[in-house]
Amino acid sequence: MNIDPIVGIPPAAAGALSAQAGEAQGETFSKFGTWFGQQIAEVNGQLQRADANLQQLALGDANNLHQVMINLEEAKLSFQLLMQVRNRALEAYQEIMRMQV
Amino acid sequence: MIQEIDTATMGVLRLALDAASLRHRVIAHNIANANTEGFAPLRVNFEDQFDAVRSAIGQGQPIERGLLDGLRPTILQDAPLDGGATAKVALDMEVAKLAQNTVHYQALLRGATKHLSILGIAVTEGKR
Amino acid sequence: MDYSQAFEISASGMTVEKLRIDLTAVNIANMHTTAGADGTLFRPLRVVSRPGAQNFAGLFEDGSESSVYKLRGAQVFAVQEMTTAPRMVYEPGNPSADATGFVALPGVDHVSEMVNLIAALRAYEANVVAMNAAKNMAVKALEIGGNQ
Repeated sequence: MNIDPIVGIPPAAAGALSAQAGEAQGETFSKFGTWFGQQIAEVNGQLQRADANLQQLALGDANNLHQVMINLEEAKLSFQLLMQVRNRALEAYQEIMRMQV
Repeated sequence: MIQEIDTATMGVLRLALDAASLRHRVIAHNIANANTEGFAPLRVNFEDQFDAVRSAIGQGQPIERGLLDGLRPTILQDAPLDGGATAKVALDMEVAKLAQNTVHYQALLRGATKHLSILGIAVTEGKR
Repeated sequence: MDYSQAFEISASGMTVEKLRIDLTAVNIANMHTTAGADGTLFRPLRVVSRPGAQNFAGLFEDGSESSVYKLRGAQVFAVQEMTTAPRMVYEPGNPSADATGFVALPGVDHVSEMVNLIAALRAYEANVVAMNAAKNMAVKALEIGGNQ
């Protein structure tokens, strides 16, 4: 295994990185909101598809038993991840609101 | 209370589970009477009552709760063979049907468990 | 359901093999029967089975996935009488003997019938193994995601 020693960032690259962070800051705030909204819609679609798959299985129309199970599990994990992101965002908001002026 | 926000999935699953357990009893009845004189094997007719439900799923629409009312699995007798003789119990076919029915029942149960656990995540906000 | 198709396919194979064993048993049971009252001698029977799909060759040319799901295992096409010549055995005292003292017995080949019996039995067991494997695969597929 080849372990590279820690190398400092050359000054030219450091300048480029800070410039990018500066201009992205204005956009990241609204970007998170829209991104989260998109993710909610996507997880909703996943859950609906998993639901439809389960109904097909019950009626005897399922094409693929393992595909149904995988879709269900993926939908559940996506939903759990979404809940955790929402919890963290809420905690961060509450912590900021608790700050004394 | 959870039925208010749940789709008709649990209703469909419950019907399918009813049908699977009825099918198990019918197959066990056939196997027990394998050597009975003049016994015609029975079977459960269930899946072809679902055309309205199937078309709703195919179009991606949620299933109305009223669609599921009145759908029940029915027991039919096997048609007599050509020549007028009553059908006989094929023991190996009945055992094969039993194996398939068992797997189907387990699959339905796992699906129902997962579905309810997803609702549980929403209710408990992801906290154990 | 794809896993129920695996059960159907194995079940069709088992039906064909069971019929084959039944016919072999009929042939062996009638090995030494003489001609009946109407003069007809027993002719050994044979199962002719075909694949259950409609157009087997066309299935793989059509590239769509749904065509693969038309595989249906085996089906019995016909039960044929084999046109083997009867065995003539010299037994002048037998009431069924003809003018020259020979009795006509069905042309059942004992050795090949025994071979058919064993082959059909092994094929039946192989179908049962295939069905059990399909069932185990389905049960394992249910374990996706762990015991939650």
